[in-house]
Amino acid sequence: MMDGLMKDAHLSDEAVAAFADGVLRGHARERAHRHTTGCPECAHAVAVQREAVWALRAAPAPALPTALLDRLREVPLTTPIQSVTTALADDGTTMFAAFGVTPAAAFVPAAPHAANRSWHLRPLVITTAAVAAASVLTVGSASAAGQNRTVEPVTQQVVSRDAGTAVPAP
Amino acid sequence: MTAQTDAPQVWVPPTWDEVVREHADRVYRLAYRLSGNRADAEDLTQETFVRVFRSLAEYTPGTFEGWLHRITTNLFLDMVRRRQRIRFDALPEDAGDRLASREAGPEQAYEQMNLDPEIQRALDELPADFRVAVVLCDLEQLSYEEIAATLQIKVGTVRSRIHRGRVLLRQALAHRAPGLRPEEQADTEAVMRR
Repeated sequence: MMDGLMKDAHLSDEAVAAFADGVLRGHARERAHRHTTGCPECAHAVAVQREAVWALRAAPAPALPTALLDRLREVPLTTPIQSVTTALADDGTTMFAAFGVTPAAAFVPAAPHAANRSWHLRPLVITTAAVAAASVLTVGSASAAGQNRTVEPVTQQVVSRDAGTAVPAP
Repeated sequence: MTAQTDAPQVWVPPTWDEVVREHADRVYRLAYRLSGNRADAEDLTQETFVRVFRSLAEYTPGTFEGWLHRITTNLFLDMVRRRQRIRFDALPEDAGDRLASREAGPEQAYEQMNLDPEIQRALDELPADFRVAVVLCDLEQLSYEEIAATLQIKVGTVRSRIHRGRVLLRQALAHRAPGLRPEEQADTEAVMRR
């Protein structure tokens, strides 16, 4: 009696998902196949899984907004760089993380300002030297993108000379 | 550890522009599927790349996509939890649209034409944990093991969340049944992926 119950037991939810995805192997797969052949309830459960997947995949992917792409390209300019070891390419057009390479002098961090982890703010806490270096990068990234445009985040900064730090313009 | 930049290198680190070009689409798509609106998707994408930029030096070849999935997904779950804490449900339903970008380019029109709002809405109604599992499995096509690693949960938990998420999704789309016919026998052996 007990054996019979076990043999005919419905598939677990986990097994239903895995069987629908075709990732069950060996004995588990055979059992699932055999069971769904004779059990409309479990066969339906498997079908439901697949239908959900088809519906999802039928929805086209959203396109990346071009303005966002531009902002992502500017992340090196708009992100505090104290913890990043970076270097400029020889031609000055690109910046990349330096692996075991002495960091470019201009990107030596501004120590007094710790990272601001607030979600929406993109604080621009950088040294005067870094502002100068970032300007070089600005030119570089703009030419790399083949576009004539200015990069706002740097030009919006007011450099406080005595402190040597940049603060956001009002 | 080589001290020379021009020493022969097995692996050349990508430029930032290459990183963005190669991965931005995927990250944005994932962020959009998870958050269900442009404004959050843009914020999540931007924050993901900020984190990537900050920790590029720790990147080792071969793990980039998994790394991006993990960052994006965790940022999304953080966002959901934070909003639950501050009872964000007071915000009207279309808040995401109203707060959303800044510039409506041609691609926005394209997006609105092509996105299936019904499916996205059904997805949005799923509890966040289920949604993450379903999106990573069915849209990003990660394996159960990869999802388990990304979310740091057990594979069994991944399976049951996927199962439950799909059931809820299918229920939400029940009225579309004619377009979603079960193909029982013939298809039982079909492999959905891999």
